[in-house]
Amino acid sequence: MAIRSLELRARVVVEGFWNGLHRSPYHGFSVEFTEYRQYSPGDDTRYLDWRLYARSDRYYLKKFEDETNLRCHLLVDQSRSMSYGSTGYTKSDYARTLAATLAWFLNGQGDAVGLFTFAKRVREYLPARHRHGQVRQLMLALEREPEGGETNLGEPLRRVAELARKRGLVVLISDLLAPVDELEGHLARLGAAGHEVVIFQVLDPNEIAFDFPGAALFQDVESRREIYLDPQVVRAEYQRKLQDHRLRVQGICHKLGFAFHGLVTNQPLELALNEFLRLRSRRGKRIRRRSPATPPP
Amino acid sequence: MSLLTPWFLLGAAAIAGPILFHLIRQAVRERRPFSSLMFLRPTTQRVTRRRKLEDLWLLLLRCLCVLLLATGFARPFFTHNHTPPASAMGSRQLILLLDTSASMRRDGVWEQARSLAKKYLAETAPSDQVAVLTFDREPHTVVSFGEWSTWTGDQRAALAQQRLDALSPSWMGTQLGPALTDAAEKFTDDSPDGKPAGHRELVLISDLQEGAKLDGLQGHEWPAGLRVILEPVAAKSQANAGLEILNPVGDGGPVRVRVTNARDSDREKFQLMWHDAGGTSAAGGPMEIYLPPGQTRTFTAPVLPTGTATAELQLSGGEVNFDNRSFYAAPEAEHLTIAWFGPDAGNDPQTMRYYWQLLFPETPARQVKTVSPVVQGTFSPDVLNQSAFAVIPGRMAPGEISVTHDWLARGKTALFVVTDESSASPLAALAGLPTLNITEAAGDYALLGDIDFTHPLFSEFAGPRFSDFTHIHFWKHRRLDIPPAAQARVLSKFDDGTPALAQIPVGRGNLLVLAAGWNPADSQFALSSKFPPLMQAMLDWSAASAPARFQFNTGDAIPSPDRPGSAQVQWKKPNGKKATLAAGAAFSETDLPGIYTATFGDRQRQFALNLPLDESRTAPMSPDELSRLGVPLQTLTQMPEAKGRQIQIHLQRTELENQQKIWRWLLAGVLAVTFGEIILSGWLARRPIITMVSK
Repeated sequence: MAIRSLELRARVVVEGFWNGLHRSPYHGFSVEFTEYRQYSPGDDTRYLDWRLYARSDRYYLKKFEDETNLRCHLLVDQSRSMSYGSTGYTKSDYARTLAATLAWFLNGQGDAVGLFTFAKRVREYLPARHRHGQVRQLMLALEREPEGGETNLGEPLRRVAELARKRGLVVLISDLLAPVDELEGHLARLGAAGHEVVIFQVLDPNEIAFDFPGAALFQDVESRREIYLDPQVVRAEYQRKLQDHRLRVQGICHKLGFAFHGLVTNQPLELALNEFLRLRSRRGKRIRRRSPATPPP
Repeated sequence: MSLLTPWFLLGAAAIAGPILFHLIRQAVRERRPFSSLMFLRPTTQRVTRRRKLEDLWLLLLRCLCVLLLATGFARPFFTHNHTPPASAMGSRQLILLLDTSASMRRDGVWEQARSLAKKYLAETAPSDQVAVLTFDREPHTVVSFGEWSTWTGDQRAALAQQRLDALSPSWMGTQLGPALTDAAEKFTDDSPDGKPAGHRELVLISDLQEGAKLDGLQGHEWPAGLRVILEPVAAKSQANAGLEILNPVGDGGPVRVRVTNARDSDREKFQLMWHDAGGTSAAGGPMEIYLPPGQTRTFTAPVLPTGTATAELQLSGGEVNFDNRSFYAAPEAEHLTIAWFGPDAGNDPQTMRYYWQLLFPETPARQVKTVSPVVQGTFSPDVLNQSAFAVIPGRMAPGEISVTHDWLARGKTALFVVTDESSASPLAALAGLPTLNITEAAGDYALLGDIDFTHPLFSEFAGPRFSDFTHIHFWKHRRLDIPPAAQARVLSKFDDGTPALAQIPVGRGNLLVLAAGWNPADSQFALSSKFPPLMQAMLDWSAASAPARFQFNTGDAIPSPDRPGSAQVQWKKPNGKKATLAAGAAFSETDLPGIYTATFGDRQRQFALNLPLDESRTAPMSPDELSRLGVPLQTLTQMPEAKGRQIQIHLQRTELENQQKIWRWLLAGVLAVTFGEIILSGWLARRPIITMVSK
């Protein structure tokens, strides 16, 4: 987080993994012509432009830009609870950097990336596209300071289901510090729409350890409510409740076949990216395994 | 180390405050923002007392700050350079100058002064040279340096204290200035070995009243190394007022009294009342007067019963009584007889007699009677003998001349007016001269030219405003040719150089010779404003009439009521003590206020002696007044309201503390500790506390 520019931070993270680790599971529908190239022995003859050969008696290969069928929507929580941080940066910083990294990464491999930022309701919406300037707009949207508000997961997920009609990938980055009673329903709705959902829960180390010195008035940054707490007294109960909450979210994800990954803001972002790729790779295999009827390109 | 105000150390008890605050856990006021409280349940907040002190260094700094502050307010100082007591300072010359004026008669003042003096005597070292002086109107030596050195060491203080016990305040005024200068000169005069002492102390024990006279202090050269130590003593009561009967101008007139109220008095209303010699109150009751503090006013005293010779005017309303009475002696009217030789009628304005009798109108103080010694055509020597002065307008019968000459020779004075050349013979006979040449002067008129203003007759005219005699025209005058054998003194001359007025001694008396008359035919002298005062001066100078005083201050010498050569005068003091003096000798044993009676021949005259009014101004004088006049004061060791020696010690300690000013360092220490406490508490407050990171 020492780099101020969100775009630069994302690029630095992504370039560390830019070694052809990724292959698109949906490539093969090349419709957009890009250039001609002279045939050289060994090239696939399927791409020879026979009409050109008829006119010029030369073998040319038609090159097409691959168009993926992956449409990824990044859902970034910008509620006030995300503005908490004990490591010199906030959970929101971490989440936005993660989102930017994913956007940069996916855009780099040709996927269409869209963005939802939300707190109580959706604040920013960028439709998923793969075109020049999309990443820049996405970065600008992420760099806008969040206005804050209470966390409400239901409304953004409902909006995503309405706006992202084509199936794709939905990445939810949030601390998920909100009631999860309705979460399952909204996620099931996304799953029904054919979306694949990956959930990153971002938490601060203090939120996990709850290791504060001495009693104090603890103030809820969202509701401004204050209660007197002695951390020594309430730590065990807090950690138990937090763990229950995470397990419940995890159970929902497992039930719906969605990926869930917990992140702590003192972990390197590369690990999060690596985890994402691992999940995507496993998902790709699972997709291929589950859809053997997909015709080869 | 000593403390000037040790009771401020009680403030050190305030360190209980920090200790208590460090023991009590206050309600938590620290706020910690947290992302969500959805998993948290509030715990009960408690105010508890800690079992052990926390932030011990912070507590120590706070306690140190309080301690330094309390110590600073207690104003500590080191006593290692404290001036040692007098007994430890080695050889020195010490003069105790004790005020014995009348104002020391106030309640408790004299006892304080004497005990102070005894204390100084008791503290003297064997090597000290001590003298004890007193002063009121004049300085007096009680113990001189010489006497002190002759006494053995262990008896000195006791003997001097015995002499102090025999002293008591007098009824005199306070002449502080001469007393101080006289005492300062004793250091050199009475030094037994003649060597100048390096350490000289003059201890002035006095009430330092405002009315003390400070004459002679300005510009006085004080001996080297002299330190004047003031030891003021104060009266318990300060409401003092005094009175003084002004010198009456004649019998029967109203008596004027001057009343002063001390500056520090708290009374404003007083009463004046007469008492007779027996002490009983006069009729009429007291007269109320109003006089604010610090003021002096003159009042008309209540009317005395007619014929009262002596009385005592009492002032009541104040608390201090030593100066509340003033004695009054009624002035006696003066009866003078002047012998007029000659036939002049008193109702003819062309004659000299006419103007002469207008010169001395009758007043309450004096009645002048001009008589002729020739009764029914016969010269009466008795008339002449009873006369104090004689005027001889040019002519005398031969039988009169010898008698008058003898009368003159007994000390009388006569004025001889030369009316024509025939006056030469009687004048020469009167003056005891064989011949005297007188000629009528020619010319238009003459003026007075050369005048001897040094002579008592003309001394009143010596001022330039009064010395102009040129407007007096003398139409006629005579040339006097006085032989040198006459030993005459020419007092004035006409502008032609001839004597106008001459004094010829005749035995013990004098004969004044005027070369022109004051009748209109001779001159305009009688019309001149110079004429009455000159004639009055002749009368006064001839001792026929002298302005008599009947009111004196204690210590004043009363002039003899009878002229020299008469019988002895017997004096009687108010305490009944009698003394006999020769006629003409002044009586100087006037150490008591009251009525003094002088008896001479078959006559008696009474004089009233009172305290000087300045003695009633008992408000304390500021010691700065002495400093301003150059008195080398050591320090203001004691203020008038101070009590005892403790105040002096306190002032010395204050001076020491003021020199060292240790409180400044302590205050700097407080600032440094406070700075350290701020840094430490700030560091402690910044310890691991989770804060919001805002962008």
